[in-house]
Amino acid sequence: MAAKTYNIPELDKKLADRRYHLSDSNPDFTKDVLKTSRTIANMCFQCGTCTGSCPSAPRSSYRIRLFMRRCVLGLENESLTDPDLWLCTTCYSCTDRCPRDIAPTDVIMAMRNLAFKRDIIPKNFLQTVQAIYKSGHGVPNNDVNRAARTKLGLDADPPTTHSYPEYIMGIQKILDHFGLKENADRILKGD
Amino acid sequence: MHEYAFFLGCIAPNRYPGCEASAIKTSEKVGIKLLPLKGASCCPAPGAFGSIDLNVWYAMAARNLVLAEEMKKDIALICNGCYKSIWEVNHILKHNDELRDQVNEVLAEIDMQFKGSIDVFHLAELYYNEEICGLQKIRDSVTTPLSGAKIACHYGCHLMKPQKERHFGDTENPMWFEELVSAIGAEPVQYRNKMQCCGAGGGVRGYDIVHSLDITNEKLINMREAGADAITELCPFCQLQFDRGQIEIKEKFGDVYNIPVLHFNELLGLAQGMSPQDLALDLHGINCTPFLKKVL
Ligand code: SF4
Ligand code: SF4
Repeated sequence: MAAKTYNIPELDKKLADRRYHLSDSNPDFTKDVLKTSRTIANMCFQCGTCTGSCPSAPRSSYRIRLFMRRCVLGLENESLTDPDLWLCTTCYSCTDRCPRDIAPTDVIMAMRNLAFKRDIIPKNFLQTVQAIYKSGHGVPNNDVNRAARTKLGLDADPPTTHSYPEYIMGIQKILDHFGLKENADRILKGD
Repeated sequence: MHEYAFFLGCIAPNRYPGCEASAIKTSEKVGIKLLPLKGASCCPAPGAFGSIDLNVWYAMAARNLVLAEEMKKDIALICNGCYKSIWEVNHILKHNDELRDQVNEVLAEIDMQFKGSIDVFHLAELYYNEEICGLQKIRDSVTTPLSGAKIACHYGCHLMKPQKERHFGDTENPMWFEELVSAIGAEPVQYRNKMQCCGAGGGVRGYDIVHSLDITNEKLINMREAGADAITELCPFCQLQFDRGQIEIKEKFGDVYNIPVLHFNELLGLAQGMSPQDLALDLHGINCTPFLKKVL
């Protein structure tokens, strides 16, 4: 079987090298993941139950057990730059089955949060942020749907921020508090 | 009447308004009144927002919770994704003082405060709950039993999992959804790997649509194998993934299923005598007419 490749020479070289280099390890990364995920990832004994439960594993090179090992070993770069990080559907099957009572799903979420701090984030995530900043909805209303709603006896717009746009300001303030819209715009523009 | 603030989310009101209309009408017939939650927003999407920055996810969900606290009403909702954000953030903030203080610092900028004074429910769990509604009341509300309809139940992920932080019990082979489907006269079918994800969550639908649909396709194969006439679920995002997903699967993989996908509220609406027009079933990607001819 062909080895996994992303056509990113530097990353491919890295992934082909299965040795553990101390210089690749950042112990703070393990600590950061444990703190954000609030799960005992350090207790993982690599049984593989998580990968065996994972709907993403059979159709890709994504292996949740590998990310668990990377977490324990502090392999920050490998974790955060691997495109497979974004193939977890957050189904929590691994979490329900882990014999060590770990939530591998939350480890992935924590790693994604750390990746975002380095501007590593798929575009579609940022587009959702922009949509919510504008309308309060990640999936906003449209004209076909407005017509259908009216036929059903519902208001053309739901009683959410769509009907009460005065609430959008509060949402924008929350997002601005975290600089999220600004970062989303900046990262999307750089693409 | 049990009154709840009805948290809508995005996909139900803005893509499948039949889910919203049927929730309001079907619940009223069993003694539940859903009140508009004015100014609510996206929950926000747990996959996208949780992945970017959990702190933003907490604060944004908390704003929605505070709107219901101000109404002094518990929340009822009809989407597993919304349940993940609204139920879980409520739960976390009630039990984690440090996080609650952090969130309240942000909310103070918009003159809001999370108090932790309400609870959050999925409408389906209220239907199942004997103290609020229960199976008998559902049975009694049915005027057009959907007899002869074989239905595949898709529980989805974020309602029941992770099991130890929820209260739904077994997540390997639960049967309560099937009991609800039996109560409206239909026949639930068992299929392989029932609890598998629909493939849409975690931002994967937007990140890698082929990967995402490949997961959906596996579920569809298993549902067809069991002879399902229709799929029912508890989540408009799963609904979108199975319904529009079948069209995308046809385009991308050439596989054709034509299995209609109805939210449990839409199915209940049919059983209570709502017409397909009352449910905007024409907005569904997969034509529901052959199924309707069979059951009505
Ligand atoms: S199931 Fe749990 S203990 Fe086993 S490899 Fe996965 S995370 Fe580690
Ligand atoms: S939560 Fe993610 S890693 Fe765990 S089984 Fe589901 S898709 Fe795989």
